[in-house]
Amino acid sequence: MVAALCRLLLRYAVLGVAVVLLNFLIPRLLPGDPLSFGSGEGTGPAVPLSGAAKAELQAYYHLDEPLSRQLVAYLGDLARGDLGHSIERPAPVRDLILDRLPWTAGLLSVSLLLATVTGTALGLLAGWAPGRRLDRLLVSVTGALAAIPEFLVAIGFLLVFAVGFGWFPLFGGESVFADYGDGRTGAVRRASNIATHLILPAATLVVVGVSAFVLLARDTAAGLRHAPWIVVARAKGLPARQVAWRHVLPNMALPILSFFGLRFGALLGGALVVERVFGVPGLGLLAYQALRARDYPLLQALFLLSSLAMLVANLAVDVISLRLLARRGVLHG
Amino acid sequence: MSSPFVFLPAAVCSMVDRRSTLAWIAGGFLLALVTVSVTAPSLAPHDPRLTTGIPLTPPSRSHPLGTNDLGQDVLSQLIFGARAALIVAAVVAGISTVLSWTVGLMAGYFRRAEAPLMAVTDLLLALPNIPLYLLVLTLLGPSRRNLILVLGLLSWPAFARVVRSVVLQARSAPYVEASKALGASGLFIVHRHVLPATLDVLPTKIVLTVRFAVFAEATLAFLGLGSAGTISWGTMLNWAFADPLLFERPVWPWLVLPPTFAIMSLILATVWLSDGITRARAGVIRRPRRNTSSQKVVAPRRPRLTLTPAARPRFAPSGRRRSCTRRR
Repeated sequence: MVAALCRLLLRYAVLGVAVVLLNFLIPRLLPGDPLSFGSGEGTGPAVPLSGAAKAELQAYYHLDEPLSRQLVAYLGDLARGDLGHSIERPAPVRDLILDRLPWTAGLLSVSLLLATVTGTALGLLAGWAPGRRLDRLLVSVTGALAAIPEFLVAIGFLLVFAVGFGWFPLFGGESVFADYGDGRTGAVRRASNIATHLILPAATLVVVGVSAFVLLARDTAAGLRHAPWIVVARAKGLPARQVAWRHVLPNMALPILSFFGLRFGALLGGALVVERVFGVPGLGLLAYQALRARDYPLLQALFLLSSLAMLVANLAVDVISLRLLARRGVLHG
Repeated sequence: MSSPFVFLPAAVCSMVDRRSTLAWIAGGFLLALVTVSVTAPSLAPHDPRLTTGIPLTPPSRSHPLGTNDLGQDVLSQLIFGARAALIVAAVVAGISTVLSWTVGLMAGYFRRAEAPLMAVTDLLLALPNIPLYLLVLTLLGPSRRNLILVLGLLSWPAFARVVRSVVLQARSAPYVEASKALGASGLFIVHRHVLPATLDVLPTKIVLTVRFAVFAEATLAFLGLGSAGTISWGTMLNWAFADPLLFERPVWPWLVLPPTFAIMSLILATVWLSDGITRARAGVIRRPRRNTSSQKVVAPRRPRLTLTPAARPRFAPSGRRRSCTRRR
């Protein structure tokens, strides 16, 4: 167990170093100079920098030094938590990101949790009796849903529930210029206002995320039906609910968990796109605004942050599955 | 020149399951789309880039799907968008497939190449797609060539692993050993004996990559990373959503709905086609599945534990039956 854990941590440490290195190298090795605006096509600010301003920026990002010195400076900045200064806005990148992070983190965690739980439940229902009508319905519906890009689902929800029925607000994370009042009631009112704004984005992510979980859980449950311990549990007369809770679900945990790690990255990208549709002021909208203004430091920091988040999520998944495997006795045998 | 146009549909037709109607509808739709995109200049009523009408007019006879905020014809844009989507899909699928197979074959057969190639594959798989594309495309400058390059060069890792796992099985096959004993070189064996074994997953890879490319192109264009010069369904949506008061005015139906349905139907068509292909191939491999359906093995709610031999197989499924259940 300990040896396996050490190997796992070592692997992720290497991957983490590689991600940081890649984040350092991508802007420096790709063709194109971030400081010469207006050279390529696009929507960037087409005002060229003056020579002095360009030199100053180059010195700030150590771009006038050899690559090895740049790397040392970059790592030093990173260790101090300095992610650079935004080109478009008068603020350090770190502050901009910390300002927006709660929105995306909240949206992502709620929708991931809901997608996993409902996906597992629906998949179990479908896999319990494969080939039945419920199973065929769920499989075809989720298969079609998995085929639609997030932003189309988002647009569809927006059209139906916000434009058509008018149940939800069209845009934003909370009402602008709203007066919530003081104290507890004010906080509750603000929270409910934010919740009504976030229901549609979260629902989009859940709908997009749930389909893959349904298909996986369905196949796992269908495969487990004839495992010897399930046959015994049924044979001794255990009610179906207990068979599901005590014997099927625990055995579905491992594949679902490892799949969770895989889907994390996809849903992260989905959250970025969905935020643009609904105008949620999270990291996705920040990324959208950054790429319109060609705000390279901001985009680079967002990439670093999201890839590290993905690594951490996968590490957590791997550690938990290691524990599950150890409890099963796989590592001892 | 004309041979791929005849051969490719024929090959696809031979792979699709005869009974799945959806797959045939999807195939017909894709064929129609290819025709539309080839004949786009003569089919489109107007030049999609020129202002040919009053901005934001509702659908009329001269503009069947209305005009956008610049007075461009939406139907013509939709038709030229099909062309953009299919070009991106085809080139990305080509690049990505070649790379997947090269890396997968090399890493699977040549032990020395395995560690570095798999390290690169794992690293690329560990990165989040959308933020990576955003960063790289913004740095390179958004254009269609760059979009295709980025999507093609970054989408091979998943199938490189699949191909490698197939190669690992084929590598120890007796016919490979025999060829080796006869003195064949590594490249010859890979080309002659290992490559054919991996071609089973080729249709799946192509369809999945086409779907991915349409998906990714639309998403990135929607985020504003399409090229300013070419029209695609994603950029149409991006222009529509650039208007903050889009849904406050009655113009959104003909600005939002046509590209939305176009993207959705193209992706659904590829999915249904791939379903048809997989079903046909699954049928070839395990035809008897339907007869020995595992549904028959259902334990009664309150089983009577008798020791008569007739009761036993109901509770303990035989090996043959268990092999029919799908496992991951």
